[in-house]
Amino acid sequence: MKFLWTLAAKNLFRNRLRSIVSIIAIAISVMVVVFARGLVTGFIDSTFSLYIKYDTGHIKVVNQEYRQKERLFSLNYPVDGFNGEGLTSMIKKLEGVEGIEMAVPRIKFGAMASTDDDLITMLGWGVDPAKESKFTGIEKQLVEGRMIRPGEKEILLGKGLLKKLNRQVGDKVTILYNTSFNSFKGATLRIAGVIESGMPLLNDTIFYLPLDIAQELLIMPDQATEVLLVTPNAKEAAAFYPGVKELFTAEGAEERYSVEPWNKANSVLEYMQVAIRIYDVIYVFLVLLASIVVINTMVMIVKERTREIGMMTALGLQSRDILKLFIMEGTVMGITGSLLGAVLGGIVTRVLSVNGFDYSAIVSGMGDEFLMNPIIYPTFSVTHMIYGFLLGVIVTAVTCIIPARRAARLEPSEALREF
Amino acid sequence: MALLELKGVEKIYQQGKIEVPALRGIDLIVEKGEFTTIFGPSGSGKTTLLNMIGCLDKPTKGEIYFDGQELGDLSKKELALIRRHNIGFIFQSYNLIPVLSAYENVEFAIRLTDGRTESEMRKKVLDILEAVGLAGLEDRRPNELSGGQKQRVAIARALVKEPKLVLADEPTANLDSKTSDEVLEIMVRMNQQLGTTFIFSTHDPQVMEYAGRLIEIRDGKVSREKKGEDIRVHH
Ligand SMILES: Nc1ncnc2c1ncn2[C@@H]1O[C@H](COP(=O)(O)OP(=O)(O)OP(=O)(O)O)[C@@H](O)[C@H]1O
Ligand SMILES: [Mg+2]
Repeated sequence: MKFLWTLAAKNLFRNRLRSIVSIIAIAISVMVVVFARGLVTGFIDSTFSLYIKYDTGHIKVVNQEYRQKERLFSLNYPVDGFNGEGLTSMIKKLEGVEGIEMAVPRIKFGAMASTDDDLITMLGWGVDPAKESKFTGIEKQLVEGRMIRPGEKEILLGKGLLKKLNRQVGDKVTILYNTSFNSFKGATLRIAGVIESGMPLLNDTIFYLPLDIAQELLIMPDQATEVLLVTPNAKEAAAFYPGVKELFTAEGAEERYSVEPWNKANSVLEYMQVAIRIYDVIYVFLVLLASIVVINTMVMIVKERTREIGMMTALGLQSRDILKLFIMEGTVMGITGSLLGAVLGGIVTRVLSVNGFDYSAIVSGMGDEFLMNPIIYPTFSVTHMIYGFLLGVIVTAVTCIIPARRAARLEPSEALREF
Repeated sequence: MALLELKGVEKIYQQGKIEVPALRGIDLIVEKGEFTTIFGPSGSGKTTLLNMIGCLDKPTKGEIYFDGQELGDLSKKELALIRRHNIGFIFQSYNLIPVLSAYENVEFAIRLTDGRTESEMRKKVLDILEAVGLAGLEDRRPNELSGGQKQRVAIARALVKEPKLVLADEPTANLDSKTSDEVLEIMVRMNQQLGTTFIFSTHDPQVMEYAGRLIEIRDGKVSREKKGEDIRVHH
């Protein structure tokens, strides 16, 4: 059978242009698949990591009631201990669970500030500065000033918000908000630092203040609106989830709190996981589309070689040998094209995985609802290359059955008469 | 036992609603080692007859015995195996594979048979190429060979597996008369040296000279049959 492979490979040189066009079609589609897979993985990984940092943690703990109406930023359903005994002791116990490195408390609340001619709506995030820096690396985004400190009446905000407020670092700003008792209050805080982030939410809407200050202003003693649990690795967070659940059951608080791993805690993340599967189907169609070029080439080849097929049958090849020979010929094109495409796709992905792929034009139009990095770094992975290669080879081999069957069905006596 | 025996072979082609009778009852016996010419005008049924003998097509009626075996009941696979091991074909238009060298074209046929080692196959291919006068041209592609040389490659391809029977359908129709003579002389020599049975068809009276036995067909029937000296004396 080896000599049939050799023949299949040599046959590619009979009509070079046609072979090259077919190979290029496969190569391009495989290249796009490899790159798109890298891009989607890079995009999704970076989006996941944003959601984990700014929304869900690895495991998110909120009050059951709060979960129902999360968007309202209600302060009436806080995290205040397993049974109301207070946040501090609850965090201690949570950090004692195996695999939980850190429990990060946050108070998220709506706030406003007025400038000369405008009322600006904002989101305040009361945070533990040390834990926040460790978890999200927010300190690294500082472009001016310094990180906020516990006990200090100060805030950290994005460049965009600073501009909207028309203030400088060191200036004071008066913030208006509702306390947990629903009374409308104001407080004046100093701007300690400015961060720069490509994300609209972080840049234009949010200001950070120390958790203890937020608790004091909002009248939420030893409370938070959410606690995010951090494990060593997001992908394995699910392994530690049962331990956390157990603690809540032991404390009799499983009714009171919603405890969810990151991939369940936000519906956007769930949709994205479905999207990955949809993309995999799209890739198959993409390669299928390219393989139409190969099918077309093969149909022409079968037509041209009718007499040769007759001759081969006369030499004693059976229908299934003819079928094999033509599938081999298509497969050789498939292998060549897929190899080329996988390598090129790998190179493009590799280059962009270092330099990044700038999405900022799209991101700026999306508003703060959706967390997204302005620069995506496609994930370079040999697995994507192998996936693209195999997809290309298998799809071409399978689709080549169609023209190959035509060849195999030819009656030898008819085929030999053909001119 | 005769190598080949045809009894009342008929072939009717169905062309839409019209029935085209191509063979209308052929009885024929071919002994081992014979060099037989099927002679007849265009459309007389030569190709149809050779296709039946070569297991490429089945008769509508009648029986064909090859080496004592009736072909009518055999499956496609069994027929393919008979062709692969026992029948060599030579075509009017050579039908060489253009991307393979002369050597590789001949090798193709022997690779389909089994039971020979690589070195045996190599020796067989080189020997047969030399026997048909192509020594030194083994590496040429078909487009680097003349018509006569191409047909010699085809003869070598038909003979390399040492078949019992070689069928040649108008092997000289594309060649000038000098080259035709050379090609036919090679076939006659191979017939004598190897004892292979040859059946070849032609509509060229010139070519009949070489026949050991002449069967003339007209309208799908054997119209005349001559042997040896008679051919040269009468025509
Ligand atoms: N597949 C077919 N369908 C219908 N009729 C056919 C078919 N093949 C051959 N015929 C008819 O059968 C008859 C014999 O044809 P065949 O090809 O055997 O003649 P031939 O002697 O080989 O002619 P030539 O010298 O032109 O090659 C012709 O009338 C031809 O038209
Ligand atoms: Mg004919």
